[in-house]
Amino acid sequence: MSSLSSMTDDVCNSILGALTEILTDITADWDLDFTGGIGPSTRLIADLMFESIDVVELVVAVEERFDRRDLPFEELLMDDGRYVDDLTVSQIVNFLIENLE
Amino acid sequence: MARTVLIGLDGATFSVLDPLIDAGVMPFLAELTRSGVRGNLMSTRPDVSPTAWTSMATGLHPGNHGIFDFIRSHERSSDVYYTLYNSRDIHGETIWTIASRRGFRVAVLNYMLTFPPPDVNGYVVPGLVSWRHLRRGVRPASFFDLLQSRLGSSWKEMAWDFDLEKNVLRGIDDDERERWVAFHRRRERCWFEAARHVMSADPCDLTAIIFDGVDKIQHACWPLLDPDFASDRSSPADRRVRDLCLEYFRDVDGYLAEIARLAGPDARLFVVSDHGFGPTLEVFRVNVWLHEQGYLEWAALPSKTDAAWESIARRVDSNFALVDWQKTVAYAQTPSSNGIVLRTLTESIGGSRAAYESLREEITAGLLEVMSPSTGQPVVSRVIPREEAFPGVRMDAAPDLYLELADHGFVSIKNMEPVVAERPDVTGTHRPNGIMIAAGPGIGSGRRIEDLSVVDVAPLLLHSLGTEIPADMDGRFPDTMFEASSLADSPPLVRLDRASTADDVAGTDDSSATDDWDLQGEPDDEAGVLQRLAALGYLELDD
Repeated sequence: MSSLSSMTDDVCNSILGALTEILTDITADWDLDFTGGIGPSTRLIADLMFESIDVVELVVAVEERFDRRDLPFEELLMDDGRYVDDLTVSQIVNFLIENLE
Repeated sequence: MARTVLIGLDGATFSVLDPLIDAGVMPFLAELTRSGVRGNLMSTRPDVSPTAWTSMATGLHPGNHGIFDFIRSHERSSDVYYTLYNSRDIHGETIWTIASRRGFRVAVLNYMLTFPPPDVNGYVVPGLVSWRHLRRGVRPASFFDLLQSRLGSSWKEMAWDFDLEKNVLRGIDDDERERWVAFHRRRERCWFEAARHVMSADPCDLTAIIFDGVDKIQHACWPLLDPDFASDRSSPADRRVRDLCLEYFRDVDGYLAEIARLAGPDARLFVVSDHGFGPTLEVFRVNVWLHEQGYLEWAALPSKTDAAWESIARRVDSNFALVDWQKTVAYAQTPSSNGIVLRTLTESIGGSRAAYESLREEITAGLLEVMSPSTGQPVVSRVIPREEAFPGVRMDAAPDLYLELADHGFVSIKNMEPVVAERPDVTGTHRPNGIMIAAGPGIGSGRRIEDLSVVDVAPLLLHSLGTEIPADMDGRFPDTMFEASSLADSPPLVRLDRASTADDVAGTDDSSATDDWDLQGEPDDEAGVLQRLAALGYLELDD
């Protein structure tokens, strides 16, 4: 997470911790083959087997956790009119650091 | 106060139920209509489930509660981002939390847009949620564990399978149809078991349970259920699927009977649907028409053999419009919205009110001239500007134009020729007239009542609980449902200030609270009460 140089480690770790908790909670019933624990390099689709609807629910869960309704997730999820192929946890953390005040 | 049970049969219509009642398939529903009242329950615009169920739960029209479809969008200058509506998007309070704040126990099972779950004094198992997220929506959390242990692996079937839904709406063959009906028989059994557990172990003052297989089976099997078409369907496969459909309705009737028994003889039972159902024979590809008129440009797509196809395939496959946002000024976002959105950020409109109005009038006039090649009649019967279709504080989030099609169907947003085409087979689609059947203490017996609106359900249920009706609800208390003596004994109370007050608790005997009510003090007599209700617009009295 090199782009986080301006942030304190505490803020970064706090957001990473919260996101990890959310993802762990969301995937609790999913019987995933994925092992090793959720971390910055974990990919939503390739590792956690996310589907489109899961991304929608992740957005809701994150907004609930941070008590925000206006986070511009479309900037993270779409690129030139197309959904991105996958997202890593660190990409989401970076997005949250940039957009949570 | 009466224990109050709301049973939703999503999409149920008397044109299907009455023949089933007459054929002896639904004996409990037959008895309920004899002992209680029945009438049409008119749906919202559009007549889709998230919108209409939310109107029932809030007593608000869509223009005020802000739920206009399954899907909401954010328009940006260069793109449009789609996501699903959820409970946080509801503008206005639901009866689930109003009743909870006032100290009533509440159970809400399979009700749309209750995820994330509201803070209720009781139980929530949300509807319209994938099994992968169901656990996080159940309140109390321990109830999910109990459901898992009671239902085994079939708990997953309670949830909404978005992929299956999409496939069925596209059309399925006879074998798939059989599996679809069988799936919904299992699924309704799960929801009934959830209701039975709550009603047996921890009965609530207000219980709401939705059986949504009615809608799903009618979409897939309409010609087998509509008496106007069923007599022509006599192949062995047709008979097999129809028999399964009848078994489904027998099951549901049995669940209604058992729920009524568990609620007890002093309970009030309200059986409702969020919209009706009927046949649709043709398809109107509104975005193709908008393209032909020069308002819409399709997105340039890569070839299916191109590596870039994979990243766009999901979006092409979805039920969201995929157009060139830079060159499009008007488009329909989804089939279920039956609406046209104008891209007010584009140069052709550029924020000018006059240009906006002119464009709307131009599109409206054009739509009304689209003719069906098979009937020679207009395909679009009415185009309604949003300030008329969706008046309210949330109107700005609604489509700019709302379309009512001649056959009451939903538009298609696909890029396929021709603009208007006959469907390969008749299929089922929504109608505005849903059902209301009600029975219990104080409710009339054996008669039909005038048409009600889905927004009237929230005032009705709050009155049934014996608690006040917030004055800011759009719905009106349906007095014609009740006997006059019942209204004299328990007149509906309408609160003059807004619903959301922190100290709004049931059973308060604080005399200062009466300052807020329309009806104060004890009624002198029945005639006096009726006069006061009439003065408030709640009753029409003969001279």
